[in-house]
Order: sequence, then structure tokens, then C-alpha cells
Amino acid sequence: MRQALDTLYRVSGALAAVFLAAICTIVLLQVGANLIDALADLVLGEPIGLVIPSYAEFAGFFLAASSFLALAYTMRHGAHIRVSLLIQHLHGGPRRAVELWCSAAGAGLAGYFAWFTVGLVGESIEFGDLSTGMVPVALWIPQSAMALGLIVLAIALADEFVSILAGRTPSYLAGDGPPGDE
Amino acid sequence: MEQIVLTGLLMVILFVLLGSGLWVALSLLGVGLVGMVFFTTAPAGQVLATTAWGSSNSWALAALPLFIWIGEILFRSRLSEDMFAGLAPWLSHIPGRLLHVNILGCGVFAAVSGSSAATAATIGRMSLPELEKRGYDPAMSISTLAGSGTLGFLIPPSIILIVYGVATEESIARLFVAGVLPGAMLVVLFMGYVIVWSLLNPDKIPPGDIDMPLRERLYHSRRLIPVLLLITGVIGSIYTGIASPTDAAAVGVLLAFVLSWFSGTLNRETFIAGIMGATRTSCMIAFILAGAAFLTVAMGFTGIPRLLAQWIGTLELSPYMLLGALTIFFIVLGCFLDGISVVVLTTSVILPMVEQAGIDRIWFGIYLVLVVEMSQITPPVGFNLFVIQGLTGKNILYVAKAAIPFFFLLLLAVGLIVAFPRIATYLPSRMGG
Repeated sequence: MRQALDTLYRVSGALAAVFLAAICTIVLLQVGANLIDALADLVLGEPIGLVIPSYAEFAGFFLAASSFLALAYTMRHGAHIRVSLLIQHLHGGPRRAVELWCSAAGAGLAGYFAWFTVGLVGESIEFGDLSTGMVPVALWIPQSAMALGLIVLAIALADEFVSILAGRTPSYLAGDGPPGDE
Repeated sequence: MEQIVLTGLLMVILFVLLGSGLWVALSLLGVGLVGMVFFTTAPAGQVLATTAWGSSNSWALAALPLFIWIGEILFRSRLSEDMFAGLAPWLSHIPGRLLHVNILGCGVFAAVSGSSAATAATIGRMSLPELEKRGYDPAMSISTLAGSGTLGFLIPPSIILIVYGVATEESIARLFVAGVLPGAMLVVLFMGYVIVWSLLNPDKIPPGDIDMPLRERLYHSRRLIPVLLLITGVIGSIYTGIASPTDAAAVGVLLAFVLSWFSGTLNRETFIAGIMGATRTSCMIAFILAGAAFLTVAMGFTGIPRLLAQWIGTLELSPYMLLGALTIFFIVLGCFLDGISVVVLTTSVILPMVEQAGIDRIWFGIYLVLVVEMSQITPPVGFNLFVIQGLTGKNILYVAKAAIPFFFLLLLAVGLIVAFPRIATYLPSRMGG
């Protein structure tokens, strides 16, 4: 179980990084196409009209996928910002109670968010929603990445709740994240 | 009446959630939900999913992870060593000498990276030990670093300006260009302060190194040339309209890789550490933006921002008085919240009020960044203070005390752009594209 969950967070974090690299790649391809076009304009007198279809839209989809798939991984690294001004003065039992509240409320909110995002995906499938660009993309595909990321976050926060209950330090407080998480 | 009670209640809930340690993005989401579920009839869950989706798949926002990535790559390269070696020979005749390396180094790094903490960390890693070795006053070394680190926010590319631009649907390219002159003005103010301070405290500045002939200086600076090309390319292409900020950022990533390849610091380990770091930071910011986008819509449903705007309207404050009040409010808020949270809360609730007062949105973005910069160096929560505490091991209050003069210099800069708004609006008004 422990191993399966850790793998889930790690894989979803790695996928997020792949999507981040994909944003860079698709934008660079378009910039390259623009450069070739400008050269062609200079040499041949007219541009070839090279373009990566819907590249701006794809960059946006990749961004959403990267942002949401990374949620759990980022949380476990303690990289989501929180105000620790007050709670840093608490130790022992009270501190544990606060962390239990944070992970429970977090899991609840993430679960709620995930639930309605799954609903959004369902609607997109039902109505056959397409993106408006040159290449019409069925919107449920990129939206699924968002739903998936939120589900993983809800699971990860519930996971933290259970492990705080069992008396362990939450992984988001354990310095540079759990071992073997890179 | 009901809405005044509601406003107060929601503010209390927000501060309780934030204070209890709940993550900022989830706190924004939570308070938005409370506002919507209990005080409107709109379907909160659906609105949440739709708003979050709409705000996170954005071409303009795609610039954010890329600019963060550039910073991560260069942080792991030899840039901080090159910066020190390249800048130092030019500064030995200015009063304050190598203290200016902090300011100019941060200024240059700010122009390739968008984060103030990354700027302070990258420059300080090299400059603080070098300055100490040469016998510079440690308080002044820390002070100049803490202050100049904040340049990362204002000098484009800037993560805070991307966040502001996306949240207000304002052109990020124009915001970037608007930040250039105020950023340069800050560099001049900071250097001016160091010069005056050094003339007053000549005993605290160690003698300069041996004078180098011009050719040798140029030779030492040769490694800065690629960075300067990178900066000119990125900012120039945005200013002239050849490239959007996202295009420029992608090319910047490529160039940063080339730079780190040539300096021999690019390997599998640094590549993975860099991209995972960028993934985490941009995820953190994108999640806050999604929470804030929902809060903005939820607030719209409750009618609070409109009400606030009307209320401010009835007070008939002059824009100066309004800005004065807002500045105090932001400084207090900045003591407890990080810069990004301050910006997204502002755009959710305060922006209608600002527009009501007839204040330009681009100008307000620059003003907001300057105020948020101050929050980076005010205790108890100031990210630059944490970074420098990490670098030096000095107590955070010591660092905060050292940074006080720069707090006032930033305040002076706010006064200057209020008195002369053209400092921020001139370049964008002349922009091509």
C-alpha cells in the first residue's frame, strides 16, 4: 500500500514535469517555424506559412496538466505556501491537532474540487465540447488531467491525515520531502 | 447592512483559515466556497470547476513555469561566480566598491529570472562569502543583498507581474515593459544610498583591489556577455512585439541550457533537480491562482467588491489619499502574507475600488509590485529574510534590521512613481506590436 501510494505521487509528479518540458518544446517549435518563415520571406520573397497548429492552445492544456498533476508531489515536498506564523509556536499535541485539521480540511476541499471537476469532464463528454482552435480537441481529454491531479491530491492529503493520526511527522514538514521522491 | 456583516465574516474566516496553517490556495478556495454556498444561490461546485479550468489553461500563464525554469537552471550553473568575477573589476572606483556587486548582480539576475528569492539566493551564494573575506561590513553586505534581491519582482521578467497580469487580464508584455524604468530607478536609488553611506563611513569599506587595465577588465567580464545577450534578447523581443512573453521565455530556457552546458554544469542530476524545482514552484503558484480565480468569481456573486468600490466612492478620497491608505494596508498585510497571496487577494477584492478611483491598471500593477517588494523584507514573514537567514545563519531579526534602509528606499520609490506616474507608463505607451 505505502509503496503503491508513493509510486502514484512520484509518477504524477514526473508526468507534470514532462508536461512542463512539453510547453517549452511546443513553443520552441513554433518560434523555430517563425524563424524559418522569416528566412524564407527574406530569401524567397514570401513566407512558407509554417505554423504549429493551435500551439498556444496546446501550451495552455499542457500548463493545466502540469499544474494539477504536480499538486500532490508539491504538497509532499512542503512547497505549497502556508502561513506558519502562528502554528510554528505549537508543539506536541496541539501541533498535531492543527496538522490533523489542515490535512482533513485539505483532503475535504480537494475532494470536493475533484468531485466537481470529474462532473465537468462528464459534461464535456456528454455535450461533446471541443476547443475552438485550428485543431479541435475534445475538452474532456485535457480536463481529465486536472481531475486526475485533484484526485491524487485528495488521496495524498487523506494519506497525511492517517499518518499524522498514527503519530508520524507529515511528509510536507519533513524537510526536503520523503526519501526516494526525486 | 447585511453585506457589511458578510464582508466582516468572510474576512474573519479567511484569516482563521490562513492562520490555522491551511495552505493558501485551499484557504482562498474555502472562503470563496463559504461565501457562495451560504450567501448566494449559484451552484458553487460547478462554478469552482469551470473557473479553475478556465484560469489554469492559459497561454499567457504558460510563461510562468518557463521563467521559473530559467531561474532554476541558472541557479545551478556557474553564473553567480561569473557575475562576481565579471562585475567586481568595474566597481573598484565607486564609493562602496564591491557592495555594488550585490545591487548590480541582483539587477542582472533579476532580468533573467522572475523571482526575488531566487535572485537573492543566487547572488548571495557567491557575494556574501567574498565580501566577508575582503573585510566588508557584514551588516551592510546583508542589507544590500536583502534590498537588491527584491529587484527580482520588478525588473522583467517578473513572476509577480505575470500573476497580476493573468488575474486582471492585463497584457503581460505591457506590464513587463512598464517595470523596466522603475526597476532601473530602484537600482540607481540603491547605488546612490550605498555611495552616500560609504562616504559617511569610509572606515567600513576596505581598500580596493589592484587597479586593472581596461583589457583585463573586459577579459574578466567575458562570461557575462552571454547573459547580457540573453537579457537583451528577451526584453528586446517583448518590447518590439516580435515575441510574446511566453515565446521569449521558451527561448530563454533554451539559452539558459546552452549557458549551463558551456559552463560545464549541465548534467542529468542538475537537469532533473532544475525541472522538478520549476514544476513545484509553478504548481504552487498556479494552484493559488486557481483558488484566487474562484474567490474573485465568488466575491463577484456576493457583490462585496462592488460595494467596497461604492463605499470608497462616497468617501470622495483623492487618489493620493486612497493610495496612502492602501500602502499602509499592504505593508501590514505584507507582514503576514507572501507577495503572491497579497496580489491575488488584491485583484479579487480591491481592484474595482482602484478602478473606481480612476487609477490606471498597468500603473497600479507596478505600484503593487513595489509595495509587495517591501513585504519581502519585513518580518515576521519575508521570503528574502528567510533566504538570507539560510545563506548566512544570522538571526532573522538581525537580517530584518539590516534591511530597514532599503525598506525606506522602496517607500521612496513608491512616492516617486505616485508623484511621477510617467516613470511606469511612458515605455508601455510607446510600445510597438
